[in-house]
Amino acid sequence: MAAQSCSQFHVFSAEEIEFIAEDELIEIVPNMRMDQLNLIRGDFGPFLPQIATEVPLWLAVALKKRGKCRIRPPEWMSVEKLTQVLEAERDSEKEFQVLPFHYVEISRLLFDHAQDDIPDIYMVRSLMEDIRDVRFHKVETSLETFDGRTSAVQIRSLSAMEVNIVRPFVARALQAFQKLGNMVPETDSVPSTRPQGTDKAARGRRILRGR
Amino acid sequence: MASGSSGPTEDLGTLTDVEPLKRAWRNEKAAPEILRYETHLIYRVSKQIELLEGTVDDFTEDGVDPLMISLYQMDLDRIQFLLRSYLRIRLQKIEKYMFHLLLKKQEFHEKLSKEEKAFVQRCAEDMKKHLDESVLSHLPKNYQSILKQFTTVEEDDAEVDDMVPEPPLDTFVVCIAREYVGPSEFQDSSDSLAMDLPLEMEPGDLSFIPYRRIKKLLESRKVDLV
Amino acid sequence: MANYYDVDDIITEEENISVIFQKAVNGVGIDPGSEKNCVEQGSKVELPFWLASELCLRNTVVAQVPACFDEKTRLEVQADPACVDLRSRSPYFYEFGCKVAPVTGDRTIGFLLFSAFKSRYKEVLTKAHTAANVANPKFLSRLTKEEVHLYEAAQSSMAAFKKWRKGGPRLQPASVLRMKRKSTN
Repeated sequence: MAAQSCSQFHVFSAEEIEFIAEDELIEIVPNMRMDQLNLIRGDFGPFLPQIATEVPLWLAVALKKRGKCRIRPPEWMSVEKLTQVLEAERDSEKEFQVLPFHYVEISRLLFDHAQDDIPDIYMVRSLMEDIRDVRFHKVETSLETFDGRTSAVQIRSLSAMEVNIVRPFVARALQAFQKLGNMVPETDSVPSTRPQGTDKAARGRRILRGR
Repeated sequence: MASGSSGPTEDLGTLTDVEPLKRAWRNEKAAPEILRYETHLIYRVSKQIELLEGTVDDFTEDGVDPLMISLYQMDLDRIQFLLRSYLRIRLQKIEKYMFHLLLKKQEFHEKLSKEEKAFVQRCAEDMKKHLDESVLSHLPKNYQSILKQFTTVEEDDAEVDDMVPEPPLDTFVVCIAREYVGPSEFQDSSDSLAMDLPLEMEPGDLSFIPYRRIKKLLESRKVDLV
Repeated sequence: MANYYDVDDIITEEENISVIFQKAVNGVGIDPGSEKNCVEQGSKVELPFWLASELCLRNTVVAQVPACFDEKTRLEVQADPACVDLRSRSPYFYEFGCKVAPVTGDRTIGFLLFSAFKSRYKEVLTKAHTAANVANPKFLSRLTKEEVHLYEAAQSSMAAFKKWRKGGPRLQPASVLRMKRKSTN
C-alpha cells in the first residue's frame, strides 16, 4: 500500500526535508577532470582540477565522498558571520535573523561529510547549535502567547527544518483553538494577550517576525 | 561526453522540470485534499526518466567512467523518488476519500488522471462489495446505503451523505507566498469571529493558515505549501 | 458527518448524559429504574450521548449538563487549570463538551472549554519541549486524549529531528532514497 511516514500533521520527515535541501547549490573545487554532466536537473561542469564550480549539494557530497573534490563552505558558515547572527538573535526577543531556508540541513550535511573543508569546525558547530537553540526558544515563547482566536500565524524567517519540527504541534494546537474558539459565544469577552514589541498583530494574528 | 553521444537533456534546456515536480510533490504532501493532477508535467518527467535510463544503460555498455554513471544514476534515483512519492501520496488520498471523490463529479474530472479515475472506480466498487456482503445486506432495507446512514423511501436529495469521509479543509498548513498576496485574496475565515486584521503576505513570507483560506491561491500558484 | 468512521468520535458519543423524558415512551426497556417495559414522563434516565441527542432533536427528552462540566470542575479549572485531572472527568473532555453544549443549550460550556484549553496548552507546550527524554507519567495522566496527542506531536517531532541530526556519516543522503541500482560501481 501507499504507506509513508506522514500523518495528517507530520507531513514531512526530517529526511525528506534534507532531500529537498540537497538540491541547493554549493561551490566545490574538483581535483580531477570530468566531462560535463547533463543531468535532468541541469548541466554541471565540466570539471577541471582546481577550478571552482557550482553543483547541487547531493552531487558535491557524492564527489567529496569519493575524494574527488573539496567543498567550499557557504559564506554564512564562517565563525565571524555566525557570531554576528548569534548576537543578533540574542538581542532580539521576537525577531529571527535571516538565514538560508535550509541552513540546518546544509550544515549537517557538511559537518558529516566535509569536516576537513570547514575552518574552525568546532567553533562553527557550537555556534550553530547555539543559534538553533536561541531560535527554538523564541519559537516556544511565541507559541506560549497564542491568543486562541488566531486564524493565521506568520512565521517570517523560520527555516525549513524549524518549521517541520514545530508543524505537528502548532497545526494541531491551532486547529483545537479554532474549534474551541468557535464554541465561545461572540458576546463573551475573551481576554487576549498581545505580544509586546514590534509586531503589528491585533487579536487574530500572531507574528514571529523576521527582519 | 566520453562516449560522444549528446546529452539526454538536449531538448530540455537548462530550466528543467525538476523544480516544478518538486513543488508539485511538496504541495501534494502538505495539502489535506487531492490537488489537480499535473498531466503535462508528469508526462514530460516520465519521458525524461525513460530517456535518462536509456542513456545510463548506454553508458554502462560503452564503458563510460563509472563515477559519471553513478552520478547520473543518482540524479535518476532522485527524480524517480519524487515521481513515485507524488503518485503514492495521491493514491493514499484517493483511497481515503474515494466515495467523496466519486460524489463530487466536477472535482473527480478535474483533479484525477485517467488511471486514477479508473482506480477510484475499482476501489469503490471493491469496498462497496465488501461492505455489502459483510454488513450492509444484513441490515434492514433503509440502512443499506453506503453513503447515508438512513435513507427514506422518497429519495430526499437534501439528505446528507453522512457516511462519507471528507478531506479536512480546515487543517492548518504552512504556506509560502510566491508573490505579494493582498488581504482580499484570502478566502474568508470560517471562524465566525473574524477579528483578523487584514492578512497580507510579501514574497517569501511563511504562514500557518487553514488550508481552506489559501486553496484558491494554491491553485493559482500564488502560494506554495511547505 | 465526515466523522462516521472516526473511532474517537464514536467513543466520545458513548459517554452517558442524563436526560428527562418529556413524554412517556412505551416498548423500550431503557429505564433501569422502571419495572415495566416503558419510560414514564418526567423520569430521569442516563443514556449514551448518541441516543440522547437524537431524542433531543425529536423533543422527546431534555438533556442535562453532565457532571464533568459541573460547578466543582469549573472552579477547579478557574483556580489552577493545569493541575485539574480532566481525564478523569472525561478523556474526551473537549470533544464531548463541544457536542454537549448545543444539545443542552448551555452557552457557558464553550467558555469553560476554551479557557481550560488555553491554560493547559501552555503546560503541554512547556513539558513537551523540555526534558524530551523524560517521561512524565503523572502529568500525562491528567491530560485528555487531545492534549496527549498534542504532547506527543511535539515530542515525536523533536525526537525524529534529533535522530536525524545524530545520523552521522553512516546515513548517506541519497541511499535512503536510492532504489536497487542495476549499474556497476
